Amino acid sequence: MALIGGIESHASAAEKFNRDVDRVNWHDKALWNLRHKRDLAAESQPEWEDLKQLGSEYKLHTLANLKHYLTEFEANCKKNGIVVHWAKDGKEHNEIVHSILAKHNVKNLVKSKSMLTEECHLNPYLIERGIDVIDTDLGERIIQLNEQPPSHIVVPAIHLKKEEVGELFHRKIGSEKGASCPTYLTKQARAHLRQKFLEADAGLTGVNMAVASEGAVAIATNEGNADMGVNLPKVQIHCMGIDKIVPNMDAASVLSRTLARNATGQPITSYTTFYKGPKEGGEMHVVLVDNGRTKLFQDELLAEAYKCIRCGGCLNTCPVYRRSSGFSYNALIPGPIGIAVSAGDDETHSLAWACSLCGSCTQVCPTKVPLDKIIFKWRRIHSEQGKLPYGKNGYMPWVGKFMANETMLNLGMASARTALRILPDALMKPFGMDWTKHRELPKAPKTGSFEAWFKKNRENK
Amino acid sequence: MSSRDAIFAALDKCNLPDAPMPSITIEPNNEDLMGQYEANLTKVGGTLVRVKELSEVQAHLDKAMADGQSVVCRVEGLNGNRELDAKPHTLQDLDLALIDAEAAVAENGAVFVRETASGHRVLPYITENLAVVVKADTLVANMHEVVKNVKLESGQHGAFIAGPSKTADIEQALVIGAHGACSMTVYMLD
Repeated sequence: MALIGGIESHASAAEKFNRDVDRVNWHDKALWNLRHKRDLAAESQPEWEDLKQLGSEYKLHTLANLKHYLTEFEANCKKNGIVVHWAKDGKEHNEIVHSILAKHNVKNLVKSKSMLTEECHLNPYLIERGIDVIDTDLGERIIQLNEQPPSHIVVPAIHLKKEEVGELFHRKIGSEKGASCPTYLTKQARAHLRQKFLEADAGLTGVNMAVASEGAVAIATNEGNADMGVNLPKVQIHCMGIDKIVPNMDAASVLSRTLARNATGQPITSYTTFYKGPKEGGEMHVVLVDNGRTKLFQDELLAEAYKCIRCGGCLNTCPVYRRSSGFSYNALIPGPIGIAVSAGDDETHSLAWACSLCGSCTQVCPTKVPLDKIIFKWRRIHSEQGKLPYGKNGYMPWVGKFMANETMLNLGMASARTALRILPDALMKPFGMDWTKHRELPKAPKTGSFEAWFKKNRENK
Repeated sequence: MSSRDAIFAALDKCNLPDAPMPSITIEPNNEDLMGQYEANLTKVGGTLVRVKELSEVQAHLDKAMADGQSVVCRVEGLNGNRELDAKPHTLQDLDLALIDAEAAVAENGAVFVRETASGHRVLPYITENLAVVVKADTLVANMHEVVKNVKLESGQHGAFIAGPSKTADIEQALVIGAHGACSMTVYMLD
């Protein structure tokens, strides 16, 4: 797993973010805003649920027949003059990219957002070898200048305020001091990055979809940075996980209808570009990467994580992500999908618990990835390996026994209600541990237990 | 073992249960396609101009050129004031590019353009302002319909473009004009 901050549990990292209550509320609101726009876009499509079902079925079909589609994709790419490379892990991916760049004596590389290259730590690898690597998506450029990893897979700089971006741009690209207007700052970045596009010897992008029947890759951006990046220099490289394959243009049409709607509420991104061969006199390379994917494919449920089309919808809706921020996951991909693909390598054994199992992520996912089920399964796997986090190994079996015994549970709950009524909060709060750090204790219901209430009001009615 | 073989060997071990290829049975919403198109193009920041004759488009180009703008025109029968150089990099100061689009999609305001229509692949992205001419009878309801009509050709690049370049990476504030064109006009030819 791509650990980003050394070994630290999610709870401990989240606790640091939670110290600044105003920032937590601001972060929560920014993400909820995206979720709201997503809801409007989804509701305006009468066939939305059908599209989700189709998206899920296309991805399941592809994953079940991945070898067939990879073979078809490779053969068609070759017909189109595209060079195909295979990498079993991140290290090999980096070596392949570097060998292509070295062959062409590339000094300046412009990149468009690719979580895969982040996963493989491509940037530091190339920079160590003397190549100037520039991330060109505005959000990616901001965090690159800020020397940070992305905190979100679609809006990587969502954790920063406009004043902070203004200060950063003043220091790094010479914009006016004290400026914080997003339009001004974006125009400054446009001018700065345009120079980089014109100087680049090669362009590299991620891939949103690779169409097997065509031997083509599709890239979706709003800024046009991928297209500016690969269409000017002679050499273009596209790096993709093997899960990004789709069978044909019909499948691409389905996913292109949900991707942007579920990410930001737009009907489609400004640019959805298909590359089916190199430009005249140019070279086009596609690097297909495994890096742990086939390992997860061996489990029928975990494999479904790779139906994901990286829209980020599950992050925006997740109450834990919104209130703990991307960095607290200590994994390159945060949020529910991050847990689904990274929990197996989580040495802190805490990632799978960075979730309330509310199921909202599963509900909004445009390809019906059963995220809550997958996260629950990771808990079980960690538990079976005897690797429950923070002492859960010790007390959870007792909690289990307690909750399985009806008499004990009823008695316990009754005494808790009585204690809540008669004892002072100061005495009771410590029993709530972390839960009561930022919350008041609940009032004990006058009606007693839910069961008592149900018996009185609903049973036999 | 090559990495390709290693990946294939690992996939052999997976045995995910087969799932059939689905088929799309969604009925296209063909009601008021032009109204849908205009609403969605506006939503994504573009401008629709309906024209009866190509000469009306020329009048727009003439006005831009009279204002001192440099214009590359790739639509047959219309004229700009600038030709393409061998090196696409020189387009960096281009004010306006006009190209043909092959199809338009009502559900999202996109048009499909191809590099044969633009000469240089980078033209629709590097220009300050982008304009396309598209025939009204190529307008279809949704993405499922349009992929039946536009066939990607080997060795080519084709793009769905929906409005100008934009970003909301700084505090979610929408800014038009990130790296690509800062405006997009669609001339819909009846």
